[in-house]
Amino acid sequence: MSSVNEPKNTERMWWRSLDEAIVPNEFKSTNTDEFPDGSSELLATGNDRRHFLKIMGASMALAGLGVTGCRRWPKEHIVPYAHRPEGTMPGIPQHYASCFDFGGISQGVLVTSNDGRPTKIEGNPTHPDSKGATDAFTQSSILDLYDPDRSRGVEYDGKKSSLPAFKEWISTYLPNQGKGVAVVVEPSSSPTFHRMRRAFMKKNPQAMWVEYAPLANTNEREALGHAFGGNWMPVHDFSKAKTILSIDADFLGAGPAQVPNTRGWSEGRKVNHGHMSRLLMIETALSVTGSKADERLALSPAQILAFSLHDGANDGANYDSVEGASFTAAQQAWLKKTAKDMGNVDLVVAGANQPPVVHYRVAKWNEMIGAVGKTVWYRPVENGSNATLADVASRMKDGTIESVIVIGGNPAFTAPSDLGFATALKEVPLSVHLSYYTDETSSVCKWHVNQSHWLETWSDGQSLDGTTCIGQPLIEPLFGGLSSSEFLAILAGAEVTDSHTLVRRTFNPNADLWNPAWRTAVHDGVVANTASLETPPVNRKSFTDNSVVGGVGMTALFTSSASVWDGRFANNGWMQELPDALTKLTWDNAALLSPATAKELGVKQGDMLKVTVGKESIEIAALPVPGTADGCVILPLGYGRTFKGRVCTGAGVDIYPLRTSNNTWAASAKVVATGGTNPLATTQLHFGVNTTPGKGTQERLPLLFREGTLDQYNDDPAFARHIGHTLHSLSIFEEQQFEGAQYKWGMSIDLSTCTGCNACVAACHAENNIPIVGKDQVLMGREMHWLRIDRYFAFGSDGHGGYDGNNLESVMIQPLTCHHCENAPCEEVCPVAATVHDTDGLNVMVYNRCVGTRYCSNNCPFKVRRFNYFDYFRRDPLRSTGLLQVQPDYYVKAQSGGKTLRAMQFNPDVTVRMRGVMEKCTYCTQRIQRAKIATKNAWVKKTEAQKAADPRVAIADGSIVTACEQACPAGAIVFGDLMDEKSRVSILHNEKRSYEMLEELNIKARTRYLARLTNPIDGSSAVEGATH
Amino acid sequence: MTTLPLNTKTNTGEDPRQRAQLVMKHTSFGAVTDDILKVNESSRPPKSWYFALAVSFAMMSMLGIMIGYLIFTGVGVWGNNNPVAWGYPIVNFVFWVGIGHAGTLISAILFLFRQKWRTAINRFAEAMTIFAVICAGTFPGIHIGRIWLAYWLFPIPNQMDMWPQFRSPLLWDVFAVGTYFTVSLLFWYLGMIPDIATMRDRTTTKVKAVVYGLLSLGWRGSMRHWHRYERAYLLLAALATPLVLSVHSVVSFDFAVAQLPGWHTTIFPPYFVAGAIFSGFAMVMTLAIPARQLWGLKNFITMRHLENMCKVILLTGSMVGYAYSMEFFIAWYSGEIYESFTFINRAFGPYSWAYWIMVSCNVITPQIFWFKKARNSIAIMFTASLLVNVGMWFERFVIVVTSLANDFLPSSWGMYEPTWVDVLTFFGSFGLFMTFFLLFIRFLPVLAISEIKAIMPQADPHGHGHSCYEMEGETDASAKEAEEDE
Repeated sequence: MSSVNEPKNTERMWWRSLDEAIVPNEFKSTNTDEFPDGSSELLATGNDRRHFLKIMGASMALAGLGVTGCRRWPKEHIVPYAHRPEGTMPGIPQHYASCFDFGGISQGVLVTSNDGRPTKIEGNPTHPDSKGATDAFTQSSILDLYDPDRSRGVEYDGKKSSLPAFKEWISTYLPNQGKGVAVVVEPSSSPTFHRMRRAFMKKNPQAMWVEYAPLANTNEREALGHAFGGNWMPVHDFSKAKTILSIDADFLGAGPAQVPNTRGWSEGRKVNHGHMSRLLMIETALSVTGSKADERLALSPAQILAFSLHDGANDGANYDSVEGASFTAAQQAWLKKTAKDMGNVDLVVAGANQPPVVHYRVAKWNEMIGAVGKTVWYRPVENGSNATLADVASRMKDGTIESVIVIGGNPAFTAPSDLGFATALKEVPLSVHLSYYTDETSSVCKWHVNQSHWLETWSDGQSLDGTTCIGQPLIEPLFGGLSSSEFLAILAGAEVTDSHTLVRRTFNPNADLWNPAWRTAVHDGVVANTASLETPPVNRKSFTDNSVVGGVGMTALFTSSASVWDGRFANNGWMQELPDALTKLTWDNAALLSPATAKELGVKQGDMLKVTVGKESIEIAALPVPGTADGCVILPLGYGRTFKGRVCTGAGVDIYPLRTSNNTWAASAKVVATGGTNPLATTQLHFGVNTTPGKGTQERLPLLFREGTLDQYNDDPAFARHIGHTLHSLSIFEEQQFEGAQYKWGMSIDLSTCTGCNACVAACHAENNIPIVGKDQVLMGREMHWLRIDRYFAFGSDGHGGYDGNNLESVMIQPLTCHHCENAPCEEVCPVAATVHDTDGLNVMVYNRCVGTRYCSNNCPFKVRRFNYFDYFRRDPLRSTGLLQVQPDYYVKAQSGGKTLRAMQFNPDVTVRMRGVMEKCTYCTQRIQRAKIATKNAWVKKTEAQKAADPRVAIADGSIVTACEQACPAGAIVFGDLMDEKSRVSILHNEKRSYEMLEELNIKARTRYLARLTNPIDGSSAVEGATH
Repeated sequence: MTTLPLNTKTNTGEDPRQRAQLVMKHTSFGAVTDDILKVNESSRPPKSWYFALAVSFAMMSMLGIMIGYLIFTGVGVWGNNNPVAWGYPIVNFVFWVGIGHAGTLISAILFLFRQKWRTAINRFAEAMTIFAVICAGTFPGIHIGRIWLAYWLFPIPNQMDMWPQFRSPLLWDVFAVGTYFTVSLLFWYLGMIPDIATMRDRTTTKVKAVVYGLLSLGWRGSMRHWHRYERAYLLLAALATPLVLSVHSVVSFDFAVAQLPGWHTTIFPPYFVAGAIFSGFAMVMTLAIPARQLWGLKNFITMRHLENMCKVILLTGSMVGYAYSMEFFIAWYSGEIYESFTFINRAFGPYSWAYWIMVSCNVITPQIFWFKKARNSIAIMFTASLLVNVGMWFERFVIVVTSLANDFLPSSWGMYEPTWVDVLTFFGSFGLFMTFFLLFIRFLPVLAISEIKAIMPQADPHGHGHSCYEMEGETDASAKEAEEDE
């Protein structure tokens, strides 16, 4: 592996081959010979002249004929692979275990490397959290590696500098003993990072050390600190809980523990002897978890606080008397209905935006019901903070701090607005920022040091349960840069500062490179048996905090964004274009409101609102979401970056100005409509519930998305098949017979456990070289996702023959991709046979045959085909497509900034499609092919007897996993061979819950759904979303 | 043998004993030739012609620019999106193919049925057909994603050994429209040969003499020529007749063969043919009214011709209206939720405005032709013909766009909005059409001179034929009556 970076180091020489290096003189002589061997023949006369003319004629014809001569082919350099590294085969991807620290929890990954380029991230099957699955952030973080906007060097005062210059500067000017030094870091689970922290603090004992992340679960940390002393983090096992109560905790939504939580929860949703878990949910915003809840109640933050602190919270007492919040009749009815279950909960979880007192109460509650040690554990976490960000800010202002070192993070953008952190930081004489981008914080710091991507450096970390993970780099740093541990090692003046040695010495100070334990740990990515779960007793000392939630006016809630988290993924095109699980919004954040509140304010989707908290105000577009608590406005953070990235510029509105140190999660706000509009690019249209399309939606939903209660399922397991009825129809054309088929690929998607977390969509994006199209194209309905997740709301009747948009009954989440119909409607209408069937039953799209009539898309009942209206990979997603849409760089292959950098991520097994071509899900045909080739190669080597026993060359079930299936933490997607009766997919297709969507069209889809099962209390309705 | 004095005012009277005269005021063949070729032979066409040509040419150039822009940039310059993958281009294609229907219907079917009134309008109706089909053919060609590979739609032997996919209605379209265009062109040209020969004989300039001489293929007007000419014409008419029905039936298969609710309807072939005749006649009328005014052809394209066209419009408009209601009935009767939704959504959903424009223009507007006053009022029929053109465009818009915008899965529903490129391309196609048409009326015989002469009384001096002028028992009284009818 070599760096793509220009060879700055003049000592390095580039050899064409080893021979050149060894015998340079001899080589030089042959190399400089103008005419190689045999060239003299060309100069000879006689017959050779004719030969010469022949060649000349042919090459002139080739050069002049058609377009070949006119086209300027890009200049490319070929470097011979003279010495193949052991165990590699060109074209065969390698997989390496690594880890990615996100939100203080290490995500275990297995990275696919194609000839030295990391191209795809999967979950690490041996990692206790991941077990092979991932979330959307992890999937997308590979795109950051190839982000053309990433910082490419060290800068001082905005001008290019160098790392040696920085090292010299810091050793000269960093105050002795750390007096007047503040270090602001992001929470990290890395033992090496903490080892370096200790080294640094030892050298600089007077330094301030602040861990800050805008979305860190500080309230919980504070409460658990009171309950147990020290720093603790809860670890939940949702699979064992029969009844779960979530107090505004979106544990299935985006976050560092999403993968293990989703897996655990989905395990509990499997019907076992007629039972499955029940999820009770109290929340303000409609979350992913709320959409999967069996019983859900939308409450304002003040009401949630009142509910949680009420003494009778677990005995079904009256709630109308709770101080500070009044409950409506519908809410009381809900509380009454659920009272019995509340008394039987096995696990209580509270959300990050709940005040510490609620977290403390939840800890007590879990202890009381005996959940600790069964469904919840606690884990001590390392935290070196000896001050807060507010301390740093105030001391920056009064001048007692002269040096601020920011390691990672982006506090100038994310710090509470009342601290004035960015302005104060600008005045500090010595400020340093280690960062991946020259972002908002870097631009106010004197020094900027570029951070390496996690795929470029050695790292370690701790998984949710504390298991130690080792992360190895997949590529040399493309633009140099340091990891946070390396940077800290430099600051601490450590003798070794390379991440490899640092991490290895943390693992075992005496381990050398060949230490077997070390090699095993690097190979596996995890160190076995290092989990550290504990069950400490809760301290009963009374705990009070002055949390005041709500107040006059509306309540503004600050939440994380499932697309950009706290803003760190804002320049990641995949994440920006990933439709939010529930709002289906891309490229923007919006003020989420309940339909009733929107009506009160007189706004509809896309109308601008002015939200004022204290003295600060922002303008943001409204987006009504059913199931949101009335009187609340939900504001996802992380958008509106001022960093001039290619992707993040202009995307969304910055919410951080509204967030102060006193109201990190909720604040009372004044909300008024401004009269302006900002079109919101949602991938699903909103039609009023009682308009013709709205009613049409409600009418057909029971057929498309089949769901039933557990009771219904216990009575009639095949209830889903009895919802629709199908006539057996004949095809007008001769049906595909699949003669001689060796395999019959099929897929099953479980609607019961799918949470709509988007991991599959991101995985599909990464695997299949799918372009992003930009906001304007999404607004036009041209997003390219092969796999989309449909979201429907089911509403209750309004009693007048219509539907009540405020009475959300159910949220339906349905992943949808090409169904690979056996009687594919797309195939018979294509005039050029660009989409055809193969014998294994794949509906194959032949890109280079496609002329782009788009007829197939029209005839696809699922509308899963995607058309390249432009050359999206050659198109800057942010460029205005106003009058002139011709791209200036249209004909230039090496496009501005980073075309070649971006191209490094491409999966070499998947064609990059040009404009004018239709594309769609292929069931990851490249993965099928890879497994097929391997199986067939192995089969050929078998004995005749073995061959006779396996005439079909069966491929073992599970050896082909599609990208979506592999990413899914819920295990909701299963792919396999239907010809194998014992394959998982065959079993699932034969399950009684399984149904075919639009079966009545006689399309014979190969993808089938498993009907969703819910477990509501009365068993008769699905999710009761009693908004008021 | 008496010749009835020609009615000087109108010929719209209906008297079963007397057939109305079809050519007014002309007493000699020579005068007919002079009148019709007046335009072609005058050294300078009227100023209005120059003006119209300038405007049309500008619009045609715009079409060229739009197509160039499209090819260089990508199909994304249009408003097409994911559910609505076909937008303006296909709407325009069907619209123009529909317009291209009247020409061959008039020339072939009315010829076979011996409808002699067709002779006054058939030539430019056929020209209109040719130009409309050229416009129509442009759209499917440019609407595909990789325009440079459009030839893959044709069954051309190739090294890949790849044939088109013969089950696709788009391929049938290629054949149907291609055949129709070829036969229409031949039919039009064949019919013009004697007239071009006339122009050749009368021309004053050398260039014209050579060009018309070449085009007239050595026509000398001998009996043998006439004999072969008429045989060929009859044969081509017979050949063209099924094409009139087949082309739009096949175009309708683009939709009917798909399984999309709102497209997948067995009523489509006859309904499309009726609609095509409807729009074609409306377009003939839209063109004939100003042309007869400006070119002084009122004596050939008489009120009787216009009235007959009004009747055809009334008939086909009612057929189209019946088809609309039948679609609704079947959608309801089928009990299919997707199908019924599509139609309710058309009428009351987000595109209801387009639907109601269509209904009011196509179903309600032609009903005015139940009244003879309306059939004889130039202003009313011109307005009505324009409205029918608008309505028929919207019919295709409703069929193509509303069905696609809201199909099976609500999650994939999406609204379609044309871009400025869509709109300018559509207007540009009118420029293409009008440019061709204006050049045609300047340089080719706009009416079928020889055929018109054949329906004049002089053409049948012996009275053996069925020419209206020699009906037995004709009286002055009946002629008067006819006048009073006005």
